[in-house]
Amino acid sequence: MQSYLLRRLWQSALTLVGVSLLVFVILRVIPGDPAKMLLPEGAPPSAIEELNRELGLREPIWVQYGIFVRSVVRGDFGQSFQYRAPALRVVVERVPATIQLALTAMVLTVLVGVSIGVLAAVRRGTGYDYAGTVLAVLGQSLPNFWLGIMLVLLFGVTLRWLPTSGFQGWQYLVLPSITLAAFPTALVARLTRSSLLEILSQEYIRTGRAKGLAEPAVILRHALRNATIPLLTLLGLQIGTLLGGAVITESVFAWPGMGKLVVDAIFFRDFPVVQTVLILSATIFVAINLVIDVLYTVLDPRIRYG
Amino acid sequence: MNRREFLVGSGVVLGASAVRPTVAGAQAQPPRGHIIAGLSERMLTLDPANHYSISATSVLRHVYDPLLDVTNDDKFVPALAESWRPVNNTTWRFTLRKGVTFHDGTPFNADSVVFTLKRVRDGKLVKSFVYQDIEDVQKDGDYAVTVTTKRPFGSLPAHLTMLGMLPPIAAGSEDAFFQKPVGTGPFRFVSWTHGDHVELAANPKYWKPGIPKVEKVTVRFITELSTRAAALRAGEIHVIDRVSPDMVQTLKGTPGVKVLDTPAVEAQRWHFQLARDNVKDPRVRKAISLAIDRNVIIKDLLLGYARPVVNPVPPGLIGHTNLGQKPYDPEKAKQLLKQAGQSNLAIDFVLMKDLYPKQLEIAQAVAAMLGEVGIKVNIRNLEIATAREQRTAGNYDLFFSGWAHMPHDPDWYFGQWFTKAGAEKMTRFNDPKVEQLIAEGRVPDPKVRQQKYEEIERILWEDEPEIWPYYTVAIYAVSDKLRNFEARRDYYVLLSEVGIA
Amino acid sequence: MSRLLRHPMAVVGGLLLAVVVVASVAAPLLATSDPIKPSFGKRLQPPRVLGGTSAYVLGTDNLGRDIYARLLYGGRVSLALAASAVVLAASVGVTVGLAAGVLGGRLDDLVMRVADVQLAFPVIMLAIAIVAVVGTSPGALVSVLALSGWVLYARTVRAAVLTIRQLDYVEAARTLGASDLRVVVLHILPNTLAPILVIGSSQFATMVLLESGLSFLGMGVQPPQPSWGAMLAEGRDYLSNAWWLATVPGVAISLVVLGANLLGDGLRDLLDPRLRE
Repeated sequence: MQSYLLRRLWQSALTLVGVSLLVFVILRVIPGDPAKMLLPEGAPPSAIEELNRELGLREPIWVQYGIFVRSVVRGDFGQSFQYRAPALRVVVERVPATIQLALTAMVLTVLVGVSIGVLAAVRRGTGYDYAGTVLAVLGQSLPNFWLGIMLVLLFGVTLRWLPTSGFQGWQYLVLPSITLAAFPTALVARLTRSSLLEILSQEYIRTGRAKGLAEPAVILRHALRNATIPLLTLLGLQIGTLLGGAVITESVFAWPGMGKLVVDAIFFRDFPVVQTVLILSATIFVAINLVIDVLYTVLDPRIRYG
Repeated sequence: MNRREFLVGSGVVLGASAVRPTVAGAQAQPPRGHIIAGLSERMLTLDPANHYSISATSVLRHVYDPLLDVTNDDKFVPALAESWRPVNNTTWRFTLRKGVTFHDGTPFNADSVVFTLKRVRDGKLVKSFVYQDIEDVQKDGDYAVTVTTKRPFGSLPAHLTMLGMLPPIAAGSEDAFFQKPVGTGPFRFVSWTHGDHVELAANPKYWKPGIPKVEKVTVRFITELSTRAAALRAGEIHVIDRVSPDMVQTLKGTPGVKVLDTPAVEAQRWHFQLARDNVKDPRVRKAISLAIDRNVIIKDLLLGYARPVVNPVPPGLIGHTNLGQKPYDPEKAKQLLKQAGQSNLAIDFVLMKDLYPKQLEIAQAVAAMLGEVGIKVNIRNLEIATAREQRTAGNYDLFFSGWAHMPHDPDWYFGQWFTKAGAEKMTRFNDPKVEQLIAEGRVPDPKVRQQKYEEIERILWEDEPEIWPYYTVAIYAVSDKLRNFEARRDYYVLLSEVGIA
Repeated sequence: MSRLLRHPMAVVGGLLLAVVVVASVAAPLLATSDPIKPSFGKRLQPPRVLGGTSAYVLGTDNLGRDIYARLLYGGRVSLALAASAVVLAASVGVTVGLAAGVLGGRLDDLVMRVADVQLAFPVIMLAIAIVAVVGTSPGALVSVLALSGWVLYARTVRAAVLTIRQLDYVEAARTLGASDLRVVVLHILPNTLAPILVIGSSQFATMVLLESGLSFLGMGVQPPQPSWGAMLAEGRDYLSNAWWLATVPGVAISLVVLGANLLGDGLRDLLDPRLRE
């Protein structure tokens, strides 16, 4: 395990370097001119050229990368083209709101999803199972924006029970986290139900013949363990998505999160912000993946890495 | 309507009267209340010289004053400059208001003007290119400034309505200054959370008595229209901009909400790529223009929230004159296409994603209309950066764009799109006669400008390098608690004279 | 066959999917109006059930076009694109996951790190990059969609393989000389089927939504051609006054997801060796 961990840490460093290089190159190779995005449509080509030079974009790409790496090592991720403020600060400003929303959605997903899945599996074929199926279908197929806007119209405008947008207190978390959690909850519910069913039918068949039904709690525990690994895999990926990919939910709720930040930055060709967010994302994914791989061995001692 | 005289003479008259407080205003109430606005466009900077965004102009107008303002009916009125006049074709003289201080107590005077103008000319800022024609800025005592220009710059006062005056202390430590900027405006800057909201507080020593009317203003940036409208309907905010025509009914039906609209200083414009074989022939362009039923777009798609175009320049601006509406005549269009040998044309219509309200809908309508006369339209709805690259490369036949005359003056529009240098990397427009007229229209004399611009417009109207389908209408929705809110033609949301019940 | 019939829900699911597919394919026969030609005077009419005119059973959209017709024609595009994307993502993901889990070691590390790198990039950015290199063909769109989905399969399958390959009977098969491939196909793959089917049948909706989000890059069908994704996007601005524009395609997607879920669960029951007596 020791050597495995060391190997993984070394690879993580390589991965981050790879990501930084890749994002750097992709940004400068795709069409789209940052100066053009900052200047109005009615700006002359000379002004555009000037601004590009000012932003350091006329140097050869390896020179730019060298400057970038030297600054990053000092903790300077460059100046956001859009905001003319340090890119790192612009990104970090979004972290609290992003984490709170992601965590809330994650908690909802696990609690609600697993509960529905367990209930549906244990009460297979009954009304609970069908209800669970319906909820799962809705969760998977309702578009984010549809659910979000409908929730806002109902709870924000008509009933006025909850605020419609922004983030100024815990009640602002309710609607966005429900919207964000809908799809993963459905997926978790289905995975839980599916994994449980595998074990439950086996156990029932085996032990039922042996001595009448074995203790339900034991069966449930064993079954849940079977479900844990695929669930963990799913959740690991979800965290990343929640952190960087919640752009639609963030737009609908005017949530000051990183999803919208990075997508806006991509459209605006704000290279420093995109670079910063992606390096941050990569770090998170690498870390989560490592933790989960280690957790696999804890949860299921049969797993070994060869 | 002889508004043009304001630029020369009445600046003095209005200036004098604005300084003396009216009897009613002298006993004005202290500011009270808190207005929350929801704007559609994020603000990106606190530097008035470093952006050309409508939303930033709105917000920053509260913190900084420019030398002059433009009213909603296109009159230029004094702000920090009491009066201004052209000394000759290349010299402007501004007389400044006395007794004004910045939020930190330092006095406003000619040093500020000299600093602000030289900074924008010499810096690498977004607005710099506009001021390259300034030769020199000299103070003439503490309260007068003379600006000399390399070429005639008749639209300088108009551009100056968008340039807030900065205190000279900002020099040398700009980063620190823009963390907590000070201006002379009706509100002091309190805080800015990037991409989320800005907080402003009343300036009790503002030079206009009785202004501002409220103690605090919060501007929230809510890009999604449904959310913006929902916040207003739920009573969480008091004013929103960029309401779409389809949302009007819902908002009108909400108790406590009013909808206000006004024709904007913006013309939607679809420009042709004049170097492409498809649309090089003026007959083809004329045919395309004839095949578009603009009234259907205005009435059915924009629900009446648009106005028919009678000139490339919207009414109210210098140079506007009524040239009559473009006809809708698909039969004639078919004939013209046949004459030009293009009965089976296919054109690329490029859009910039989400930039203009209902643009995709309108483009599809146009595609159907052009289909009726045998033209196949490929709609290419691209993300903005890619679309603009395609434009520079010339990969389009028709490009969906618009022009909002933020300075309320068409000189920038003409100079950018109808001179060889300006249009080179865009539409490839090149007409020496127009070019010369534009140069001649730069002089300060409004009568000359009006005449030159009318000539230009007649040429463009005939040649049709662009299609101007409609003038836009700016729609706002406000809480009925607000008093004195004015729906502005330039899409600005200005709150210094607005009170709240 | 008789086994299949013992799972009525799976049959229902399969039938549901079949109906949707057949309806889309038969769009020219079933649609009563032109899905593309605008009808400016008839904008935003509600569906017949809600008080609209009898001509439009599902109402009209923002350009007065028949939503029913657009739904049928749009279904062709969306079903084809989403299904291809799911199949591609699953194929690539499962293969990679199996290889990583079975062969382990360097391959496992390499592949999983590549996944990490890719996950750090938002889909939109990958899409822009891909468009810049290979253009906006349907193949490019399917590739981008698949790219957004393969990792979940890979990771899930890999985790399942790690669990199973240590099992006794697998070891036994190995010692008896069964080749790796045989072991994989006969013993490992069937045991990973359950999560694959669950994920696959869940991803359809995601693919349609992604397709909707990528249309402005010039990928996928361009307006005025309908697709469920395009209908969703166009309906977004009308949720408060003409909610059926976005809801109708949303319901269609739900039906497909329902069918896929039921069928997927049923198939899993059928094919999972642990459930065989």
